[in-house]
Amino acid sequence: MNEILVVDDLVKYFPLRAGFVDRLRGRRAANIHAVDGVTFSLQNNETLGLVGESGSGKTTLGRAVLMLDPPTSGRITFDGRVITELKGEALRQTRRKMQIVFQNPNSSLDPRARVKDIIAEPLRAFEYDKESLNENLLRVLTAVNLPEDSLTKLPHEFSGGQRQRIAIARALILDPKFIVLDEPTSALDSSIQAQILNLLRMLQEKMKLSYLFITHNVSVVKYMADRVAVMYSGKLVEVGRTRDILEHPLHPYTRALISSVPPLDPGVKAEGVPLSGEVPSAMNPPKGCRFNPRCPYVKEICEREEPELREVAQGHHSACHFAETLLESESPGAASPSGTSRSTDWRGT
Amino acid sequence: MSETNQALLDVRNLTVKYRTSVREIRALDGVNLQVAKGEIVAVVGESACGKSTLGLSIIGLLPRPPAVVDSGEIHFAGRDLLQVREGEFAALRGTSISMIFQEPMTSLDPVYRVGDQITEAIEVREGKRASRPKGPFQKTNSADTHEMSRGASRILGARIPRSERKRTYSNEAAEALKRVQISDPVDTLEKYPHELSGGMVQRVMIAQALVERPSLLIADEPTSALDVTTQAQVLNLMRGLRDEIGASIIFITHDLAVASRIADRVAVMYAGDVVELAAVGDLFRHPQHPYSLGLIDSFPRQFKDEGRLEAIPGDVPDLRRQIPGCKFSSRCRFVFDRCRVEKPELVEVKPGQKAACFLRYPG
Repeated sequence: MNEILVVDDLVKYFPLRAGFVDRLRGRRAANIHAVDGVTFSLQNNETLGLVGESGSGKTTLGRAVLMLDPPTSGRITFDGRVITELKGEALRQTRRKMQIVFQNPNSSLDPRARVKDIIAEPLRAFEYDKESLNENLLRVLTAVNLPEDSLTKLPHEFSGGQRQRIAIARALILDPKFIVLDEPTSALDSSIQAQILNLLRMLQEKMKLSYLFITHNVSVVKYMADRVAVMYSGKLVEVGRTRDILEHPLHPYTRALISSVPPLDPGVKAEGVPLSGEVPSAMNPPKGCRFNPRCPYVKEICEREEPELREVAQGHHSACHFAETLLESESPGAASPSGTSRSTDWRGT
Repeated sequence: MSETNQALLDVRNLTVKYRTSVREIRALDGVNLQVAKGEIVAVVGESACGKSTLGLSIIGLLPRPPAVVDSGEIHFAGRDLLQVREGEFAALRGTSISMIFQEPMTSLDPVYRVGDQITEAIEVREGKRASRPKGPFQKTNSADTHEMSRGASRILGARIPRSERKRTYSNEAAEALKRVQISDPVDTLEKYPHELSGGMVQRVMIAQALVERPSLLIADEPTSALDVTTQAQVLNLMRGLRDEIGASIIFITHDLAVASRIADRVAVMYAGDVVELAAVGDLFRHPQHPYSLGLIDSFPRQFKDEGRLEAIPGDVPDLRRQIPGCKFSSRCRFVFDRCRVEKPELVEVKPGQKAACFLRYPG
């Protein structure tokens, strides 16, 4: 088995305390169903893209996988050890091999700490070799293409893209096997985004990393992920190889999501019908399939029975009662961001 | 240059600086831009390229100080907006020029119901009330006197007769919400902004613009805070707005793909300059400026196994310093000596397509 991470039926509820007025009115405490029974696995050296809209629970899932927010129930196996059963020191030691990079480097870096202290901080949480500290710092600094004199500077002396490089260097210093990347380029400009995406891919090849890449951006996931998991209202609705998901989506939500992504070429008409309605409340999700109030193909069974995530085609899982019908009908060449042809000759003046 | 006389808006050589006691930042450096009647022009660029400053200059909401207009003219409907005094400008805002902001949640007033805010827009249009920046919002609804006691009883869960709870808003207000595809407009009029989702609030903002019937709408990143499925809805609505009331739209965005969906023409900005101005199809198929090319190339559209993205190296230049020559020269892969000393003008390189690059200079 070369699975680095296996997540089985993971559930994370956030209890809401009933306020004074609520209690007067006889209301009971409710739960926010942020992640509601999620199962997936991640191979060694693989990138799994986790896509979903705001409020779908993707960040909560990422944090729960690292045990940053202990899950309500479910089982997480990391590198052969069931970490949901670990506590204290044992859990702390497994954390060495799992790291996270957050969305906004402006808030994830201490503005008053020097870069060398920021990057060395994970090391200090464990026993480390003080002799080779500097060598270690320079190693990760070169890995993320920052100049050596960065070590004594403060975060505000860097641009947004460089700050994200610092955050990545901090995640690399412990030689992790697995990194959760939570929207790592969403706060960056598009020309810088490409630099960071390329850097992350290069690091993955070099250091044999596995990524859980959380993003709302379908174009980014297409470029980064080997496989994609689509999340909606706390559940995975579709999991499969990136190409399969983007070219032949087998869940109505995935179809809508992909067709909402504007293609870069204005000549390509985005033929998708935009979704109506809103993401359901996580406090009181709809009965049956959670997508049923917005689904264009909704049938009676969808309001009654919750569909399971099941394998519809080889390596392609969908949680739709009618996934087979979608498979046969074949998607109308779902508009994935397509290339542009260009005839400008860039060498001649 | 071929200026048409039908241009609704004509920005000429606009230079805006942000000046403080210690530094000066040149946010706009001689920008030229024309917008025809009923046209959607997207202004595309990365953060700090001056695109929002351009929008704020046109609607007269630049924070002054620190902003200083160094030179330039903004012609709109026959007059130079830079010469219009604030008192008169207030009469233009909301009637001739409107603006939609990026953060939907902070652009509606949290203490007034949606209906009040749409009604306000209607009254501004009809000249019954000046638009907000002139003075504090004045209530016109006498029913508000019971607000306090009703609010208190609602918290305690007491039942208020439905007839008393309902306020009356004009049909036009409800109609406007219906047109932006809000499913129960009458109920929504009763609500406060915090009771709505981000997408709904942005639709309310568009509904406001709709009832104002401006001839020019400036939309500053109106979809950047929204999810993609909501974004698609809002983009369709904005196009509909143009078709319905014939408004010209300046659509400010950092997202090339969004620009390609909505715009007729695109102005690409870099570090305070418009570096390329072209019809949307020409820009994406035959970009003439290396920065436009770089932006298009750095947009991920291939699968992981289909090779690497072509990223633009380096970072945006520091605008606190005077940059000699072309501002993109430090990141440009086609750079040559002239680029570092002389600043290229925005010139027509093909019919209807302008670029500011020596490589594209005719002759």
